[in-house]
Amino acid sequence: MAATTASTTTSSAPAPSSRRRRRGRSVEGKPRVAVAFTVLFFVLLYLPIIVVVIFSFNSRKSLSYFESFSTRWYVQFFNDEGLISSLKASLLISTITMLGSLLLGVMLAIALERVSSRKARVVGTVSLVPLVTPEIVTGVAALLFFTGLGIKLSLTTVILAEITFSISYVAVIVRGRLASMSGEYEEAARDLGCTPFQAVRLVVVPAILPALIAAGLLIFALTFDDFVLAFFTTGVDPQPLPVRIYSEIRLSISPAINAVGTCMMAVSAVLLVLALIVPRLFGSKDSSIDMLS
Amino acid sequence: MTVADQAVDAPDAPDAGRRRSASHTRLWGWLLAPPAIWMFVFFVCSIAIVVLLSFGHVNEHFKPVFGASLDNYRTLFNTTYATVFVRSLVYAMLTVVFCLLVGYPVAYTIALHGGRHKNLLVAALVIPFFASYLIRMYAWSTLLSDEGLVNQTLLKLGVAEPVKFLNTPGAVIAGLTYGFVIFMILPIYAALERMDLSLIEAGKDLYHGPLRTFFAVTLPSTRAGVLGGLLLVFLPALGDFVSAQLLGGPGTYMIGNLIQQQFFEGQNAPLGSALTVVLMLCLVVFMVFYLRATDRERRET
Repeated sequence: MAATTASTTTSSAPAPSSRRRRRGRSVEGKPRVAVAFTVLFFVLLYLPIIVVVIFSFNSRKSLSYFESFSTRWYVQFFNDEGLISSLKASLLISTITMLGSLLLGVMLAIALERVSSRKARVVGTVSLVPLVTPEIVTGVAALLFFTGLGIKLSLTTVILAEITFSISYVAVIVRGRLASMSGEYEEAARDLGCTPFQAVRLVVVPAILPALIAAGLLIFALTFDDFVLAFFTTGVDPQPLPVRIYSEIRLSISPAINAVGTCMMAVSAVLLVLALIVPRLFGSKDSSIDMLS
Repeated sequence: MTVADQAVDAPDAPDAGRRRSASHTRLWGWLLAPPAIWMFVFFVCSIAIVVLLSFGHVNEHFKPVFGASLDNYRTLFNTTYATVFVRSLVYAMLTVVFCLLVGYPVAYTIALHGGRHKNLLVAALVIPFFASYLIRMYAWSTLLSDEGLVNQTLLKLGVAEPVKFLNTPGAVIAGLTYGFVIFMILPIYAALERMDLSLIEAGKDLYHGPLRTFFAVTLPSTRAGVLGGLLLVFLPALGDFVSAQLLGGPGTYMIGNLIQQQFFEGQNAPLGSALTVVLMLCLVVFMVFYLRATDRERRET
């Protein structure tokens, strides 16, 4: 928020040539209301998050009076076997989903970028549909698919559903990177005696590595947080962490949930920050999040 | 990459190149097969099962069976379900409107006044949205409860009795707006970034006054972003059930809540499937409108 106010001061500074300065000029005199509104927006955006974090350190059970600093809810969280097994389940789901969707998503991305047959175009279009399908539809579909085949719901079914949902994300991110790289590179590698597999492994994969890492981190974070799909496809025990939290919230309000929530948000935030930074470390200007929009 | 860079210069008989490129295409074809089969089995087939089961019914052992009747769809026409459908559509539409009203100024401020910290601001915007929707909704439900922090603050400020926020349509719509406004901000931000800013300058000379310039120049040239945002917010908002569950009550339930009930409490999967199919149809209709609007856009420019 400090940044926003700082920028208004720069914008009123008189200076002509550089692009940023000109942007500032184009709006001089106007932005007060919009800037104030944006500041308010950021306050409201972070308010619930800050409240969860603060009250996770409350010594009392109350969620509206803060008494004094204490880590009792964290102690309770880490001693709660149910929550810990859910945490482990969620970490396992996210890890396997990340690896599985990376593998399939990269295959899809490379194939779609290099094959221009009609079949490939159909696959390309279908693979975009999960991105615009509300999760509840995907969830219902996966649930019926598994129960219809007589497969018992478990962590495996959650993983299968999450991978299906994540392939599209990986493919979109990786295709963005591949599009900027021509097929001649693999041709050249073949001319130098590479087998097709080697060409992919030695030339294509290193070139798309930043996108791969970013996509992997993003998928891990999204899966770790995902509630709806996990809710529809999970078995009884152990349940993924978000599903577990949901049932606890509905039963009663326990401050231990604030501690769990703080940990979850911390994990996601770190992963997302990394996902944003990694492509930049490799010198690419666009980050994975840009491509999602 | 270095291997590749060197190799570009290496001459090669055109014939060999063509042959290789054919074998290459076959390789890509093999790469395509596993993900294509996976998507077909787990996505296309499972959606097909939903559609098929929506014509089925529940047998005497409460097990769902396939069938060919329209009974489930007839059931949906009774007033309880119809009310929920209309309510969901209204909530989702209002959510879209609020997201636009909130999202546009925020995107505008960051894109045009973000200054040096623009990327940082976008990151600060994106990260909380992808970090635990459930926890943030839960946080609002405790904040807005009768004894929550918001009401306590209001009481201290002299409001006579706690305001009832939860279990109201307002709370559900606010929750949806809060949850999905990012999908409005990002496309508008991208459109503003792409926009030629000298247009605004020219607009100022032509129209006088920033407001007239905004409506005559800025808004029309970011129409594609706005349309994209409308779609990206509407799709998840119409299918959401967490907001209505945590911030609302039975009086504010949406299609998502009904679907969830049919599968977990009502044990009527065929009816739940029919609800899901109708939800999908609503989304397809909206999608078609969107595609036609963007198509017209493209032809005009």
